[in-house]
Amino acid sequence: MKTQPQTRRWFLKTSAAIGGGLLLSHEPGAAQPTSQDFELNAWLRIGTDDSITLISSQSEMGQGAMTTLPAILAEELGTDWSRVRIEFSPVADAYRNPRINWQFTGNSESTTGFFELLRMMGASGRTMLEQAAAERWGVALAECKADVGYVIHAPTSRSLRFGELAEAASRLKAPEKPTLRDPSQWRLLGKSLPRFEMKDKIRGKAIFGMDFAIPGMVYAAVRHAPVFGAKVTAWDKASISGLPGVIEVVGVPNGVAVVAEQYWQASQALRKLTVRFDQPDQSLSSEALLQDYRAALSGDKWKAVLSEGKALDEKGIQQASENTFSQEYESQFLAHATMEPMNCTAHFTGDACEVWGPLQGPELTRLVIAGALQIQPQKVTVNRTLLGGGFGRRLLADLPLEAALVSKAVGRPVKVIWTREEDVTQDVYRPATLQRITAALDSEGVPTAIAHKLVSPTILQFVYGSAVTEDNDPSCLEGLLETHYRLPSQRVDFHLLKTKVPTSVLRTTGYGPNIFAMESFIDELAHKAGKDPYEYRRKLLRDDRAIRVLDSVADRANWKRRPPRGVFRGLAFTEAFRTHIAHVVELSAVSGIVKIHRITCVIDCGMALDPDICRNSIEGGAMWGLGCAFKSAIHFSDGRTVESNFHDYKILTLEEAPPVDVHIVNSGIKELGGTGEVGPVTLIPAVTNALFAATGTRYRSLPLSRYGLRLA
Amino acid sequence: MRIDFELNGTPASIDCEPEKPLLWVLREDLGLTGAKYGCGIAQCGCCTVHLEGDAVRSCVTPAQRIKGKRVTTIEGLSPDGIHPVQRAWLAEQVAQCGYCQPGQIMAAACLLAQKPKPTDKDIADAMTGNLCRCGTYQRIRRAIHRAADQTNERSRA
Repeated sequence: MKTQPQTRRWFLKTSAAIGGGLLLSHEPGAAQPTSQDFELNAWLRIGTDDSITLISSQSEMGQGAMTTLPAILAEELGTDWSRVRIEFSPVADAYRNPRINWQFTGNSESTTGFFELLRMMGASGRTMLEQAAAERWGVALAECKADVGYVIHAPTSRSLRFGELAEAASRLKAPEKPTLRDPSQWRLLGKSLPRFEMKDKIRGKAIFGMDFAIPGMVYAAVRHAPVFGAKVTAWDKASISGLPGVIEVVGVPNGVAVVAEQYWQASQALRKLTVRFDQPDQSLSSEALLQDYRAALSGDKWKAVLSEGKALDEKGIQQASENTFSQEYESQFLAHATMEPMNCTAHFTGDACEVWGPLQGPELTRLVIAGALQIQPQKVTVNRTLLGGGFGRRLLADLPLEAALVSKAVGRPVKVIWTREEDVTQDVYRPATLQRITAALDSEGVPTAIAHKLVSPTILQFVYGSAVTEDNDPSCLEGLLETHYRLPSQRVDFHLLKTKVPTSVLRTTGYGPNIFAMESFIDELAHKAGKDPYEYRRKLLRDDRAIRVLDSVADRANWKRRPPRGVFRGLAFTEAFRTHIAHVVELSAVSGIVKIHRITCVIDCGMALDPDICRNSIEGGAMWGLGCAFKSAIHFSDGRTVESNFHDYKILTLEEAPPVDVHIVNSGIKELGGTGEVGPVTLIPAVTNALFAATGTRYRSLPLSRYGLRLA
Repeated sequence: MRIDFELNGTPASIDCEPEKPLLWVLREDLGLTGAKYGCGIAQCGCCTVHLEGDAVRSCVTPAQRIKGKRVTTIEGLSPDGIHPVQRAWLAEQVAQCGYCQPGQIMAAACLLAQKPKPTDKDIADAMTGNLCRCGTYQRIRRAIHRAADQTNERSRA
């Protein structure tokens, strides 16, 4: 990747921004056709009709990025929020996440990665407008203040609309160090705004990838080889000749696409198409995989990824201490199953390709298409629609590539749509993990050393391969390399397992399985020491911020008061995605039927820029976590995925959904934390810890359905 | 096969295979993309529309079943988007990704038409087949109660 000096970034302008993405406004049809837009920087355009177009670099997949990020710009600019229009950015250097210099939406970094940059960009635009006004009036810049769409000169009671200043402001040099508004003056940030696109979503007018259409577009239905590693060897086009609407049959990587005038026609024809696949090794199964995991865990191929203090490993702990404790934990394979099945639209036109779709990884999409179609990267235009869920699946460029290849083959714009069955069986899964934690304990039952062994397939290979080496993948280790607990000796050993199963990023990434293991283990240690799980954790925690979150959740859940008869509580705490989070789960368990009565959650994400959007995300994260804890699992048999649709890949239903009380602690704005993925992380161990309190049984392997447990 | 029916209060006519699912008739033949494809086998509820006032899964409803019947989609639930359920959804800021929400709203509107004051149990029974991957269930439940309260207040007034 090319590096870009960060300090220069916000001077960048990009004329490509115009027309680069889909435009959304509060009220459609508000723009005046005679208006002309002027670009103040890559993130801001102001029309002569006072319209304000803010650019969203981040995809909107339900996390609220297209509301909160433009609100940062609008706050600094001093604009009237109701006049704002929002456009998704094209692929350009200006829109890269400053933290890793790459354009993507994920890793809970939409606000944490862009907050400082967008404040600067908004403030820069405001200063340029103020300067344009100062020059026009011939007064001092310091006397001109931008506010709700005007620049005002208070001493002479004069004002100019942003639209009147846009052209002049756009010609000015961006200020070196614009002054940021003091947070005490904020009108948008820190408040709960209605989501920008909410009205469209409740009217059925929101345009997801599935809904996007352009003239002349045709549809492709795709079937892939069901066995991992298999290829399509032949198909018989004659088997669907004469079927209505059918245009062409096209080979795609590992599969075949039927192209037709309508999707329904394409999907019906595909069902009738005779396709032959080759017969590679089909020995892959969940049982065989588990043996691979077990062999790795008991083997000697390890990479030491953390050594702190004496850094005793398992053997060292057994030798050094009389009082040791060791347990194993297992998390399952999961599918993304975004509510909007996978799809993308592409139009290849000889030396260029334009793509429209629900995408988290526009820059990767550009590179993949340019490489595969042998065209210049700048000839690949990537436009984003809304995403009907992402969860990491849409970081990959496989759908855009398929659409581009099919478009190239038929010479028309093509929308590729996968069935839910293709989505589930051809996913890149959240990898299962197997881990063992061993502790040396002092006479009080407090750990003096912890050794952690983790076996996991890759998470980042397909989306950020440059971070992955032969024996390491940083995402797999999340949550293990830094802990808020006082542990004098720490050792983490990692085995990056090679499997035939394609694995990738899924909401919670490494944090999910690792914190399930760690927070279960800490709970076991508390029990072994005969201590209350809250008091035990509190004594182990090192810093005030963590203790405040733990105290706060205990307080709000009435931890110190005994729950009603038959009701039991479980607790878990961690920091993940830069946010501190703790859950208390209250449940009853009778004959394997688990009733969750109440979930209490406290987060400290530094400062919630939009509290209600954060809350919604944490509430939903708890529901996601309950589904993962109890129901969702991907299995393999005969070389392929067993589950295929929502009848066997189960997620939480409304009937099972308990109330969630989310409390946000704002500890300060220095270090923002993400809230998109963190919600399920502590929920899952809080559930299993509560189940231990209720039943006396430790559940160390997910999902809980394998023990016959189910939600009431 | 020619099929005449009523769509969002207006007479409509299509010519298609009798077994083509209503979902694809709406999306492809009539250009109404509010009802969503989610599973194709009536397991998720994203495609929920009203057929003669009942919530049905349009992905498994063959076109021939709508002949002579009334079909209402999210686009026609309330043309200006101010159906009490939609207003409640706005007030509670229910949606995250929003893909399932047209189906949720149609299912909720049907429930409220049949049970103006639903209990949590009624809501669970009526809505549990409508999946939401973002997990907005708590807000859906709250929004349905809110819509019920508002509708009942108006009818008392």
